[in-house]
Amino acid sequence: MKLNTLALASALALASASFSTAASAASEADVDNSFFPNKKGFPAFPGLNPGLVINKANVEQFKGAFDPGLFDMVKDGWVEITIGKNSDFPQPKAYIDATRGAKNGDIEGYVAGRPFPEEPDLKDPRAGEKLAWNFKYGVNYGDSGSIYPFYWRYRNAATGQIERTIKFEFHFLNFMHRVEQPPIPEITPNPAKIYRGTYAKVYEPQDLKNTQLLIHRFEDDTKLDDAYLYLGFQRRVRRLATGQTTDAFLGSDMMIEDFEGYNGRTSDMHWAYKGTVNILVPFFNHNEQKLTDEYKESDGYKFVDMHGKGNCMPNVTYQLRKSYILEATPVNPNHPMSKKVLYLDAQTMYAGRVLVYDRKGQLWKNFTIGKSHPDHHLPKNKGSDVSLDDSFSQIDMQAMHCTTGQFKVHIDAKLNPPDLFQVQNLRGGD
Amino acid sequence: MKIERMNRKRMVVATALALAGLGSLEARADNLPSLGGDVEPWKVDIYYENDTRYRGQDKTGHRVGLSKFRNTLQIEADKKVGDGWAVRSILRGTWDGVYRLNKDEYGEDAGSKSAADVRIPNTAGPVAQSVGLFGPAGSNPLTSHYSATVPYGGGVGFTIVDAIQSQAGLPNLGGPAGGPGINKFIDPNYGNLATPPVGYGSGAGLQLLGQRWNSTGSGVAFAVPVRPCDKDKRGCRDFGGYGDRKLSELEAPEFNDRADFIRELYAKKTFDLADGSNFFLKLGRQQVVWGRTDLFRVLDVINPVDYSRNNIYDELQDIRIPMWIAQGEWRMGGSGSMQERNLQVVWNFDKFRPNNLGQCGSPNVILDAGCFFRGMANLWDNGGTVANFAGFSAPGTPAPVDGVWFATNFGPNQIGIRKVHLPEWSLANSQLGVKFEGVTQGGLNFSVNALTYRSQLPSLRSINQVAVNPFTGAHGNSSPFSGPAQGIPTTNLIAFDVYFPRVNLIGGSMDFQSETLGAAFRLEGALTEGEEFANTARPRLYSENKVFRSVIGVDRPTFIPFINPNRTTLISAQLFYQHIFDHELKSMPGGKVGMPDWENNYIGTLLIKGFVMNDRVSPTLILARDFKAHAWAIAPSVEWSLTDDLKLTFGANVKNRDNQSRWEFDDCRSCNPYAPYTMYTSGAGTQGFAPGSFGLSGIEPLGRFRAGPIGAAWKENELYVTLKYKF
Repeated sequence: MKLNTLALASALALASASFSTAASAASEADVDNSFFPNKKGFPAFPGLNPGLVINKANVEQFKGAFDPGLFDMVKDGWVEITIGKNSDFPQPKAYIDATRGAKNGDIEGYVAGRPFPEEPDLKDPRAGEKLAWNFKYGVNYGDSGSIYPFYWRYRNAATGQIERTIKFEFHFLNFMHRVEQPPIPEITPNPAKIYRGTYAKVYEPQDLKNTQLLIHRFEDDTKLDDAYLYLGFQRRVRRLATGQTTDAFLGSDMMIEDFEGYNGRTSDMHWAYKGTVNILVPFFNHNEQKLTDEYKESDGYKFVDMHGKGNCMPNVTYQLRKSYILEATPVNPNHPMSKKVLYLDAQTMYAGRVLVYDRKGQLWKNFTIGKSHPDHHLPKNKGSDVSLDDSFSQIDMQAMHCTTGQFKVHIDAKLNPPDLFQVQNLRGGD
Repeated sequence: MKIERMNRKRMVVATALALAGLGSLEARADNLPSLGGDVEPWKVDIYYENDTRYRGQDKTGHRVGLSKFRNTLQIEADKKVGDGWAVRSILRGTWDGVYRLNKDEYGEDAGSKSAADVRIPNTAGPVAQSVGLFGPAGSNPLTSHYSATVPYGGGVGFTIVDAIQSQAGLPNLGGPAGGPGINKFIDPNYGNLATPPVGYGSGAGLQLLGQRWNSTGSGVAFAVPVRPCDKDKRGCRDFGGYGDRKLSELEAPEFNDRADFIRELYAKKTFDLADGSNFFLKLGRQQVVWGRTDLFRVLDVINPVDYSRNNIYDELQDIRIPMWIAQGEWRMGGSGSMQERNLQVVWNFDKFRPNNLGQCGSPNVILDAGCFFRGMANLWDNGGTVANFAGFSAPGTPAPVDGVWFATNFGPNQIGIRKVHLPEWSLANSQLGVKFEGVTQGGLNFSVNALTYRSQLPSLRSINQVAVNPFTGAHGNSSPFSGPAQGIPTTNLIAFDVYFPRVNLIGGSMDFQSETLGAAFRLEGALTEGEEFANTARPRLYSENKVFRSVIGVDRPTFIPFINPNRTTLISAQLFYQHIFDHELKSMPGGKVGMPDWENNYIGTLLIKGFVMNDRVSPTLILARDFKAHAWAIAPSVEWSLTDDLKLTFGANVKNRDNQSRWEFDDCRSCNPYAPYTMYTSGAGTQGFAPGSFGLSGIEPLGRFRAGPIGAAWKENELYVTLKYKF
């Protein structure tokens, strides 16, 4: 894997979609190591066994198994962590095969799979950038996926008061780099070169009912997303200016940029790989968790419960997993954060834990996303090999406020027809 | 009524047949709400809203008080009925208690208590007294015309006209001893001026036209009945859903013969076509929204609008009048150069309905038009007193344009509004639109639109010689008493029928975003032909003109730290432009003659909407400026979601204007339909026998078109609180 080292890093950061490298197929060993990190055994930490509850009384003993954000939360009594059994989260075979056979190591001409499957190297100045591309082109929801219902709650972390509940429906569709669901690798015609579409609709509360949001992310990383909002009370599609990705989404603790760990242009950040650690992350089997009876689903599905201070954290089990520390520093000096640290799960490239620091360098937001194994979730998700988003928590540590999310994910291609991601579909709304 | 019911039945049957006929095509069957899907039970949301508003003083200095106590129950129900079909229904019932709680202002006790309460300007009175025209004050009943204002029914009538005629040596139009003869003006009840002439009806329940927002000064005005039509039926006409409403219908407007409590009831489905494209069908009572701009309706003209609910200040979704419409949309998907292509056909097969401009006597009468209409209809039916109408001059000489005028008592069928021609239901009267909408490879969203529809605003066309010539008692100038004017067709007469002409529209819209400016831009434009405007330079007092309208809008989410450092504040600015082609306006001795609407008009709006407390509190400031009317509005408000189900909104709506003189326009006093009796003179000469206006001007009746909806409501400043609860 060789990158063109002559270009200035800043210039590359601004035009990273176009950087060209001398591409080579990743070795079998690289790919195996990337997708099967537990082949030789799961990571371990002394005394850390399934069933163990870590709280402020014993957290110091396991400090090495924590990222600093979660460690402080446990130490300060925000939450207790229950350890679950280690498990493998295999990725879709087609995605792995695409990685194996691709001319990877080059974003220009990238087709599918994990672009940079090699183990990151601290000596590689662009290792962070490669991880950022791996993250961007990760499996995520596979070629398509949906969430319904998806409950967001705004909570006062100090009092536990639920201030607002939003009920969403979300759909995701990759127009490009598809590996499993026909057509492969791209839905055509796609003259605008949309990489991914996101469609969301709000059902509750009353003032947001029937609001729809459509986001088109383009293959050209330097291009801003196109976004359209259908406001139920206006019955009209409104074009959005998408440059303000640091806006608090619908007043939640989530900036638009915070979705899925990082939801912006790769070129908007300087990326740095800061090492590999084994840390506790909320990866689990949904059906084995303590679930809440609060929301009723006709199929009997139950959602992950919340607990801890202000009920801001998902009540799920954690397991020790190999993670890459990826640090993102904004290119824009006026960005409200000084940096974001993503703990990328080595096997899945999901950011199970993310820490956001304010411009003074103080911890601002503590983001957790819980992942369920698809074989222990809805029956239809079984065998999809898509690690399922199952809960999230974004805590504003300074404002003592949090936003939580509880998911019901469906991996089902027919739920995400391309026309759902057309602007015109919004206009057919109620 | 029977025909109404048949039409409704026909529409329901047509919808049902269409639904049944299309059921056999391949459709989607999925299980998430956005995707049509399988059969699911009804999902029902019930909302209650109370909107309470309070108004300050109107132009008379009178404190209006409660202007709205509207209680709304809305039921929104959705159901997937299988085979990909989804049905949605919105039922809405409103009861506005303002008509009972403030009945002196809007209900059964509204308006004057007696004829003497209605003070109709009579600028000639003091001048007549100064020259002793009718003898010493109090010496005879005629001297009642000496006062600067007269009560309703106190204008000059046939006696004065007879006297003037005889003094001038003109044909005596009166009967023996001044009794009623050929001339059909109505004498006051000289025995008791507080009791109007019998034909005029009671002096109670009246207001002077425009008194809430302008001063008559030396212009014209007339008394307008303001009580609900079951309390006072004078001037009541169906102008298309308003104008003839009784108290209970004003209180609960949705429960009418058009079943407006069914706000929406439609079925929709997306059909997958063999070529990979799909076809979206939506049938039933619905709103179809075109365009990309807020507030201004450039392309968004498929559904008429109910301005009686809250003037222009409610969300359009709440005031569009849903119609029975079939819309089909072929969603073709992308092509080599376009990311999306869509072709939509909209067929509005409902019986025509115009905009609801508000019935006179209710709190929201946009442009005060409903009062003009009702007053004019009353003038036609019963006659009435018109302020400052008969020019004061030496007998037998034309009145000077810079003179003074007597309030004048007209008889029935002389001036006013005779009839409203609402288009009946027929295939030819249905409305059809086509839109192509696409997204280009570069992200430009655009649409090209075409629509043929009926004007949603009324057009007043003079009926001229159909009316009675009050001087001769004959129609037009058919009487020998018209002298040299006999046989000359009567034109420019302020007697009208109301029409809703067919309008054809072509237009387009687009939007795009600019990364450099961090903003999204919205543009919209339309050219119409067939619209009709008031035009005092034309024989029938209207003209048909092409109109171009456009709006450019900019939305910029902007961090304003003192509002919220973490959440953008939306700043949205719009500029509306309207150009009337072949605009007519000319200067005459008394003022401007032609079209009161501005040839080029500009209105700007600015919205600043912040979000605090995790979007649970949203302070909003809306500013609007009508640049030609020199009028502006400021509407600050705060929305506060106490819970997910309970929201309170506090706000104010304040308007003002620079001065009203720029709104004055030819009021057609000097339109000279019945020469020689109606001739005016000026230093430039005398009108002669050719009809046409000399331009005598006032605010009423055409100044409303220059004041616009903001200016005409400048004395309707309100404070309000709205509570909305979801059960």
